[in-house]
Amino acid sequence: MRLTDAAVAIRPRNAWEAMDLGVLLARRHAGLLTASWALMTLPVFVLLSLLLWQQPGWAMFCFWLLKPAFDRLPLHILSRSLFGDTPRLRDALRALPGLLKPQLLASLTWRRLSLTRSFDLPVLQLEGLAGKARSQRLTVLGFGESRPASLLTVIGAHVEWALWAGLTALLFLLLPQQVKTDMDWQKLLDLAADENRWLWVEHLSNALYALLLIVWEPVYVACGFTLYLNRRTRLEAWDIELVFRRLRQRLTGVAYLLVLGGCLLLAPLPRPALADDAHSCPIPAEALQPTSKRLTHQALTSDAAHQAIEGLLGEPPFSNTQTVTRWRFGNEEEAEEAGDPAAINGFFEALRKLMLLGKHLEGLAVALKVLLWATLIGLLALLLWRYREWWFAFARRLGRPWPARTASEPPTLMFGLDVAPESLPDDVAAEVERLWPSHPREALGLLYRALLSRLLHRFQLPLKSAHTEGEVLALQRGLDDAELDAFARLLTGHWQNLAYGHRSPPDALRAQLCEGWRALERRGDTA
Amino acid sequence: MSPIPPSADPAAPPRAGLLDTRHHVETPEGIDLILRPAGLLPRSLAYGIDLLIRGGLMLLMFFLLIWLGRFGMGLGLILTFLMTWWYMVLFEVLAQGRSPGKRFMGLRVVHDDGTPVGWSASLVRNLLRVVDMLPFGYTLGILSCLANPTFKRLGDLAAGTLVVYRDEEPQVPALPEAPAQRAPFSLSRDEQNAVMGFAERHASLSAARRTELASLLAEPLEVPAEQAEARLNGIARGLVDPL
Repeated sequence: MRLTDAAVAIRPRNAWEAMDLGVLLARRHAGLLTASWALMTLPVFVLLSLLLWQQPGWAMFCFWLLKPAFDRLPLHILSRSLFGDTPRLRDALRALPGLLKPQLLASLTWRRLSLTRSFDLPVLQLEGLAGKARSQRLTVLGFGESRPASLLTVIGAHVEWALWAGLTALLFLLLPQQVKTDMDWQKLLDLAADENRWLWVEHLSNALYALLLIVWEPVYVACGFTLYLNRRTRLEAWDIELVFRRLRQRLTGVAYLLVLGGCLLLAPLPRPALADDAHSCPIPAEALQPTSKRLTHQALTSDAAHQAIEGLLGEPPFSNTQTVTRWRFGNEEEAEEAGDPAAINGFFEALRKLMLLGKHLEGLAVALKVLLWATLIGLLALLLWRYREWWFAFARRLGRPWPARTASEPPTLMFGLDVAPESLPDDVAAEVERLWPSHPREALGLLYRALLSRLLHRFQLPLKSAHTEGEVLALQRGLDDAELDAFARLLTGHWQNLAYGHRSPPDALRAQLCEGWRALERRGDTA
Repeated sequence: MSPIPPSADPAAPPRAGLLDTRHHVETPEGIDLILRPAGLLPRSLAYGIDLLIRGGLMLLMFFLLIWLGRFGMGLGLILTFLMTWWYMVLFEVLAQGRSPGKRFMGLRVVHDDGTPVGWSASLVRNLLRVVDMLPFGYTLGILSCLANPTFKRLGDLAAGTLVVYRDEEPQVPALPEAPAQRAPFSLSRDEQNAVMGFAERHASLSAARRTELASLLAEPLEVPAEQAEARLNGIARGLVDPL
């Protein structure tokens, strides 16, 4: 064992983290572990099922009993691969007979029910301890760590159950509808009672268990193994040894052969009983016969009378059985059983009184109802209000103009430019031409203001003072007017160059812009 | 006895790809946060505890509300709704990612980047329990938890959340008495930690093991093997109270 070769980060962890590491370890070698487990267990399972075809329960029990023996192979693989020596599938299976030999009987019988079995297995298999040495070692190792190990087994049993139930439910979901229609719970229960015809159902359920173990059992073994590793890491400070070795290597530069000695002085502490010997259950005392046979010499014996009475009671006027299947709350039953039979009258009396009280509470119930409905309506109203913009947009998309929006007051100032129609001269183009040679900035500004004003008042474009030049351009594009678009683009581009970039427009532009504007004005007037 | 015979140790440089339960998150400031994701076993136990608590509360509620007639029934339905869909969400968001079961197991829910879990993530991960439960008894959740390197179930994958162990308060164990000394060579941070750990954990190590560990460094320390342990304790003391 070379700690420096370990494939996991060695560090003292808490017990749960150690088990998480086990899950990761099993995940890394998932292919090898599941393949070897399947190759080992499935033939045994098939054999057991065939041998015990008439007793599926026993087949299952035998398979379950053999689990500790199967566990040894995953542990062998994990312990080898921990230090980078991952065996191949064939080698692992070949090693199996040797692994099974030590203490097999004990594992399968009196230690079978030990809750810490996955934690104990490495002591037996990897350290090769037996008898007293083993129990002493387990006492030392298990001190403070046996509770998580037990919980691991308990949770593992639940995980197995959950996976089994999940697989069964999956199978049931996959049944075609035609099969399902004439199958209900009543019939399923009957099936369970009628064993001979439906053996294969039980064998199928067993097979599901064998299949889910392929996934779960290697993880369980790996968790027990890492729990064991973690305990040893804590007890023997493996992490410190690792760093010390590296440090010495760094300082001396020479590799030494050092023996990791028998490292623990083990106090001979009593070994806790891990699994009590199984005792056979005492045969239950035979039920006492309430009535012995009487009137045996009469024409009508007590037996015959009894049978006749039973027969009569079983016929319609007395017996009127009906099977009613319905769903109900699980709690209902408990509430019904809550009363002691002796105090049942008092119980019902109290119940009646409380029901009367309940009548008074009807008013409260109505109030609560009103409150809840009011809350719901209020929430809906809030939702409508919160997303009113969205609703407006939606309504506009449907082609209906929204009066509230168009009625809003158009702004008079944009980018600090006055866009009210009153502020513009009557003949914009002439004014622009007059200003252009001396004050190009004012000239272009005037033209741009005039454009904005026209967009606002002639084309009814809903511009806001927060819009930028680019947004105005994008908005006017929505008007779908090619001529206007070309003009607005040209003007905006040069206006931006001048206003922000202080780049004067070329002289040739003057005539072009003024012409464009006049054309726009003419078109607007005739329209 | 060791399970596998020990051998020489040419201290290799730390290799990449070591299997570890830690999950590193690097912040934009270049700080490495260490999260410790919790696996299937503690999580299922925490869920079991929560299930018990909820079951108990529902039973209690049922007995109290049955006396209130229709009013009680209505109230009961509302509370059942809250218990089913909001129990986990409210606890996770309002109690630092911890439902009572998680608190008991020392777990908490955080976003993938270690930030506290928010409303949307918590809602998503808890609503998707319905998917994790398919086909029955959390089968998909269990399989996903086993297969994911950070132990996420499907709800966690969708919401981008992690269930991690809460960090415990660090404890400062007493160092063995020794005169403070200076190390005769420079020590990296890992090595300083190891020396400190050696001194701090002296109570949990057997005397033989302590001697064995210390003798690894006897030669570089230039002391006989018997005195290496005292020397290391002295160096540890010197690291705590610099000379």
